[in-house]
Amino acid sequence: MKRRTFLQFSGMTAASALLAGCQSKNEKLIPYLIPPDEGVTPGLATYYASSCTFCPAGCGILVRVSEGRAKKIEGNPDHPVNRGRLCARGQAVLQELYHPDRLQQPLKRTGPRGSGEFQKISWAEGLGLLIDRLKELQREQVTDGLAMLTPQLSGSLETFVSGFMRAFGSPRHLSYELLAPDWLRQAGRESFGQAGLPFYDLAETRYLLSFGADFVESHLSPVQYGNAFGRMRQGRDTVRGHFTYVGGRMSLTAASADRWMPARPGSEGALALGMARLILDEALFDKAALAANGLRPEELLGRLKAYDLPRVAELTGLAKETIAEVAREFAGTRPSLAMAGETVAFQTNGPESVRAVQLLNLLAGNLNRPGGIYPAGAPVGPENSFGELMTLVNSMRAGQIKLALIKGDPWHGIPPATGFQAALDKVPFIVSFSTLLDDTALQADLILPDHAALESWGDVVPLAGSRHTVHGLMQPVVTPLFDTRQFPDVLLAVASELGGEMAAALPHTSYLELIKGTISKRVGGPKKGGEVEAQWVELLRRGGRFDADKGPGKGYRWAAASSLPDPARPRFAGDEKQFPLHLQVYPSTAFHDGRGAPLPWLQQLPDPMTTVVWDSWIEINPTTAAGLGISHGDLVEVASPQGVLRLPAVIYPGIRPDLVAIPLGQGHKGGGRYARERGVNPLVLLALVEESKQQAAWNATRVRVTRISAQGDLVAAGHPQGSYRSDLIGI
Amino acid sequence: MKKTWLIIGLVCASGAVAAVLIVMYILPLDVKERSPVQPILFSHKLHAGSNGIPCLYCHRSAPNSRVAGIPAVADCRACHLYISPDSPEIKKLIGYWDRQEPIAWVRVYSLPDHVYFPHMMHIRAKIECSACHGEVAAMERITRTASLKMGWCLGCHRQHKASIDCWTCHI
Repeated sequence: MKRRTFLQFSGMTAASALLAGCQSKNEKLIPYLIPPDEGVTPGLATYYASSCTFCPAGCGILVRVSEGRAKKIEGNPDHPVNRGRLCARGQAVLQELYHPDRLQQPLKRTGPRGSGEFQKISWAEGLGLLIDRLKELQREQVTDGLAMLTPQLSGSLETFVSGFMRAFGSPRHLSYELLAPDWLRQAGRESFGQAGLPFYDLAETRYLLSFGADFVESHLSPVQYGNAFGRMRQGRDTVRGHFTYVGGRMSLTAASADRWMPARPGSEGALALGMARLILDEALFDKAALAANGLRPEELLGRLKAYDLPRVAELTGLAKETIAEVAREFAGTRPSLAMAGETVAFQTNGPESVRAVQLLNLLAGNLNRPGGIYPAGAPVGPENSFGELMTLVNSMRAGQIKLALIKGDPWHGIPPATGFQAALDKVPFIVSFSTLLDDTALQADLILPDHAALESWGDVVPLAGSRHTVHGLMQPVVTPLFDTRQFPDVLLAVASELGGEMAAALPHTSYLELIKGTISKRVGGPKKGGEVEAQWVELLRRGGRFDADKGPGKGYRWAAASSLPDPARPRFAGDEKQFPLHLQVYPSTAFHDGRGAPLPWLQQLPDPMTTVVWDSWIEINPTTAAGLGISHGDLVEVASPQGVLRLPAVIYPGIRPDLVAIPLGQGHKGGGRYARERGVNPLVLLALVEESKQQAAWNATRVRVTRISAQGDLVAAGHPQGSYRSDLIGI
Repeated sequence: MKKTWLIIGLVCASGAVAAVLIVMYILPLDVKERSPVQPILFSHKLHAGSNGIPCLYCHRSAPNSRVAGIPAVADCRACHLYISPDSPEIKKLIGYWDRQEPIAWVRVYSLPDHVYFPHMMHIRAKIECSACHGEVAAMERITRTASLKMGWCLGCHRQHKASIDCWTCHI
């Protein structure tokens, strides 16, 4: 063949290949086999109001459903908590419904625990296995051998589950979550005698001082407070609220502040008291407020003598002038507002530090005032779930627990330093209600898969987003896709099968009926059948009851008997020489405590500060990193007295040189194809530092960081220092 | 000298690229099949033409939805249990029902995702189905008669004094 002919031929082949590539096949149009009875018009969407249960904030949602399939979730504009807004996590709940690895029917373990070898069984068989175990416990009269582990529940589910346990005769219902605001409830009880959570009137305040409360991304009710923050900044014609953030790491919230005060970890309480002393000293406090709370300024000043400016400056590592300036601004602007967050609370002196921040609010006269702090409308919740966790771990270790019913994923979410994982392994029979084969379900002997949230009935009392009691409703927006059953319905079926006392205590035929009962009791109104039904339908249509009664009513008043907060010097696990850096673990913007990791939209969501996707990372200050010879994207080893991890480093200027930070949420052993074996779980590093029996200090571990190699395999959507370098686009 | 040749060469090359782009713009590049073979040889001529069944009898969601809708297998079967059940195509249809399998018709009219086309508004504006779909009543096999290009949409919108704002269709 001549060279010329060859070239002609190859050119033609290339051209025809190109053309064939352009051609697209006609799509298929697949109609129904049997048309649905009513209510479905092809191409026409229906919107259902429901509630989001991804985090305890309890936002209202509207779900667009087309041809019987849920397509899109948005915020419910009528809901007082989120006012039509919704965070990325709430939007991604859709993927829980369509997750390709969802459990489709009950499973029974066949291999060793953790191996993931399961056998599909029917519901009859699954329920039978569970009921046999429960009957055995009843027969042997050791009903307290049953333990129930759930996240912190709200609304009817909370009453129902505790009712179930009470009827069975076991006091062991643990509702522990790492990020649950038990610490805030405790502080509220000690300072004000009220264990309810506070409602911060952020939108109306003029000076906001946040001590490590990351309300934009995770603290209590992020959509509500993020929105309120916008209104505080831009919602008023004449005022733009000022915002100062105290905390060692620049979070997304800190990045929105006017001033960032990177105080030394554990010194935030001392800083608050230093400011309080200065405010008292210069008589900038609200005299009426102090008098109303029965406190005398001279006496207070005497008690705070130790917190003079030079000492506080030395403790916090901040400049004296800055501290004084912020204290004067805070006291001189009315209304002002101080918040305390997890970063502060998870230190050994956390509870006292949180109370110190509350004292600042009292001094500036921010209690029960517009732009200040009110008791929230939600009822009280658990205050001591950490103590309960440790008790349960001990009884599991002693072999007293014969049967554990687990909703949620505590295997991933509880730090191994508590001994939880090892103790759970001693429980002879574990039942999981997970929708995915998550870390806990992998350990289970029996899995009775729950419905996805969008297939479930329920009611939600938002944690902290409102002054009023809001009662949100959840309704199934699609027909359940698989052979799953809702967790409370399974418990009801079990109770009716067990008979006797159990059946008498829980006589409902379904969880839906139970919720209807609770709601109609709470709302009051009509008693006749037809009207009750009409009222129920109307509440479902709106998404719950919003125009409700004023919360607990009583305002905050400093409990006279309580002593003043006095945060001691923080203690840390690990020797300072051997482990020179403080470790902070913080809730990931995308995954919260890890529950979002199975959802690919959230994995693909770049972290707002570092732009990392699909991975874990450790944030290190450039100065520290230079000293250790670490550059951006290197693989490093992090060692603490408790454990060792390897993960890529992110050189992050927004963090103190003596602090490193790792986000929570990754490092699952299970949880479906998107979460499995991805990133690391920083909880394995945390040592158990207990100041009191009530709370562990999760931010009080010291670590050592060493460089391993340049192969960190870090994938980021942009460069954190804002250059055009990008690992995804490759410019 | 060399420089001139280089310039001429460059001009030619860019001219060629421009020509290709222009041709690509003018050509319809309408690569989708206009009259694809369907899984069942359904005759619109017989149903809509000879038997005079109105379009909306089968495509019943057109007046109140974005899409016109295709009858479910159960709907076809309801009539054909009695009407010519022995013809080979009807046997195919009953075969689908027996296997409990929906029929995957080949789509003839499709618009890109960035176009919002609602059937209901056009029906309410009393536009004949044939204005876009052609004389379906005379077609043995359904054949696309319109180009479905934006200019074609706009022509009709102008003629009927309908809105030609971008956001009318590109929402």
